[in-house]
Amino acid sequence: MIKNVLSDIGGIGLYGVISICLFFAVFTGALFLSLRMKQSVADHINSLPLEDGEPVQKGVSHE
Amino acid sequence: MNPNLETFKYDNRIVRAFAIATVIWGLVGFSAGLLIACQLFWPELNLNLQFTTFGRLRPLHTNAVIFAFVGNGMFMGIYYSLQRLCKARMFSDTLSWVNFWGWQAIIVSAAVTLPLGLTSSKEYAELEWPIDIAIAVIWVVFAINLFGTIFKRREKHLYVAVWFYIATAITVAMLHIVNSLAVPAGWFKSYSLYAGVQDALVQWWYAHNAVAFFLTTSYLGLMYYFLPKAAERPVFSYRLSIIHFWALIFIYIWAGPHHLLYTALPDWAQSLGMAFSIMLIAPSWGGMLNGLLTLRGAWNKVREEPMLKFMVVALTAYGMATLEGPLLSIKSVNALSHYTDWTIAHVHTGALGWNGFLTFSVLYWLFPRLYNTKLYSVKLANWHFWLGLLGMMFYVIPMYWSGITQGLMWKQFTSEGFMQYPNFLETVLQLIPMYKLRAIGGTFYILGACLMAYNLYKTAKAGVFVPEVEVQAPALKTEVAAHDGNDPWHHRWIESKPLVMTGFALIAVLIGGLVEFIPMWIIKENVPTIAAVKPYTPLEVLGRDIYIREGCVGCHSQMIRPFRSETERYGEYSKAGEFVFDHPFLWGSKRTGPDLHRIGGKYPDAWHYNHMDEPQLTSPGSIMPRYPWLLTQKLETNSLPARIGALRKIGVPYPGGFEATAQTNLQAQAAKIVENLKQGAITNAPPDREIIALIAYLQRLGTDIKATNAPPVKTAAN
Repeated sequence: MIKNVLSDIGGIGLYGVISICLFFAVFTGALFLSLRMKQSVADHINSLPLEDGEPVQKGVSHE
Repeated sequence: MNPNLETFKYDNRIVRAFAIATVIWGLVGFSAGLLIACQLFWPELNLNLQFTTFGRLRPLHTNAVIFAFVGNGMFMGIYYSLQRLCKARMFSDTLSWVNFWGWQAIIVSAAVTLPLGLTSSKEYAELEWPIDIAIAVIWVVFAINLFGTIFKRREKHLYVAVWFYIATAITVAMLHIVNSLAVPAGWFKSYSLYAGVQDALVQWWYAHNAVAFFLTTSYLGLMYYFLPKAAERPVFSYRLSIIHFWALIFIYIWAGPHHLLYTALPDWAQSLGMAFSIMLIAPSWGGMLNGLLTLRGAWNKVREEPMLKFMVVALTAYGMATLEGPLLSIKSVNALSHYTDWTIAHVHTGALGWNGFLTFSVLYWLFPRLYNTKLYSVKLANWHFWLGLLGMMFYVIPMYWSGITQGLMWKQFTSEGFMQYPNFLETVLQLIPMYKLRAIGGTFYILGACLMAYNLYKTAKAGVFVPEVEVQAPALKTEVAAHDGNDPWHHRWIESKPLVMTGFALIAVLIGGLVEFIPMWIIKENVPTIAAVKPYTPLEVLGRDIYIREGCVGCHSQMIRPFRSETERYGEYSKAGEFVFDHPFLWGSKRTGPDLHRIGGKYPDAWHYNHMDEPQLTSPGSIMPRYPWLLTQKLETNSLPARIGALRKIGVPYPGGFEATAQTNLQAQAAKIVENLKQGAITNAPPDREIIALIAYLQRLGTDIKATNAPPVKTAAN
């Protein structure tokens, strides 16, 4: 498949290789960053939607 | 007590305004869809009015659903969640309201101009240039409000939903501006800066990514906020959301060319589009699973909470559509599916299921909270759910059936090697029962939405609106206290730096577009020139503009793919070099009627005259509406110099001073057509009617390469 893609790019050489390498770089980069994240940090950020701020008056809060 | 604690108020008024707008425009957009769906088995439903034909109303339906229904739904969700995720009121109330009223004004202007036939014809970007400028301005207002809120936030870290909002804001701006570049030829007429193949590539880069960044990333952001809210538990995996976000925005932008498989687009661009479309399954399913797995251990809530029911179906529809999309991008599958109703089924799985149900889900969750009460009727919401689901099934299943039937019939040969169905109309008539079933599905879906509107109205009446919610949160510390906050090898670092996040997101979405565009623009081999292809004559230019005005491109393609089934039916396959003067390209995406690229010279002028007056006369059983006004309306020629001047500016080689002779040239060609019509027993056709220009254009289509006996293709290389 990659061979077919590349053989059809007449005259612009390494374009396809560079594109696919970029994709793998982005994918592995995101994987690398996410795996380095500490669980406690992930848990904190994950809980953000559940914390809207402390309501000042009870009864008018949505939560 | 924390001395840093600050008191501030969330603005609910703007959220309510967008919520009401999404309900109203949703009903309008769905109803327009039902009307045009019915016109496909009942063509007279346009009531013989030029403003209500399928061609003019189809863009009204798509724009209403995408930009009015989903657009307002998106703003509703963003304005609610962003304040709470940033623990800050919106940056500027004034900008919020400029955003709201500006957006509504744009929608109203679309609803007026599209039925009037003022259109650029580029799918989902039909609005003419003054409205395009207004869209850009309002989008910038929204972006300033978004980034302003992010900069004054009290929560250091940007939650995943906010990343998706950022990606939406910057990418939609980029897509809209690049695709809308055009040269005006009057207040409501413009010509795309790009021509033919390049225009097609830019347009489908835009349209595909409008799906990606208007309909998908914004709604993924809403899903990441509202699903945990309703389920009362955090999202399944934050790590997965990081991979989901970066992989999705990076890959999506490459996939546009899958709309142009087997067309005159260079093969390398098609292959890139296909390869990246298949890769898209990974991040899309990652996101879907992240959503569905958030409900682990909470599935009992799905039974009780209507909001979660809608959300689960929305996520499932997202998963189905994002699996099907890549499969449809495989060239061999696309050979069958392209131009058929299969694509219509596919997009409606996304629109009705993902966007529709997710909007309903958020509305059911939001209204009781905005009005500090309970939902008026859970029972009615459940009725809505089942009506909507049934409506969806009745919509998509007949459309799959119809699409596959169409594709197979178009390609069917007899054992002797002749076309089994040489008359295109035979294939259309087979589909009528499917179109009727689809209309039933649409009706169910609209009935459900009406129930929702009533339910939300009663909820609002029963409660008291909470215009602002006063809360407290500690101010954001300026110094970085986090142990790993300054380490750029942590994603947490990126999340706490909105500008860095925006920069990386911009780079991610720029790469794919540039890789595809740059070679198309700088390497001549991509569009081999054909010496015989000449610019359109003045009469043909006006005829082409009528073709655009009437939205003919909504049902007729102008791109014959290199398959025997197509060359047998339509003639020589279409070549890139034939479109170098086509501003805009008119390849189309759907064949409710036959391809028209080689229609020129196929029938006499009188046939076209009669066909436009009464399609059923020349094609019994045709579902094309009548166009009698073309026979009576006078051709507007005053704008001809402006049109020719605009086309010259963007590279069409009309000689200097051509405007002066254009009228004479036009009249001479019109007189010839009138003579031809007389041979077809039409003796009373005046030469200054719109039909004459349209006939001139149709008779020109695809004929340039027939005019020469020399080898048709001359590449830059030889």
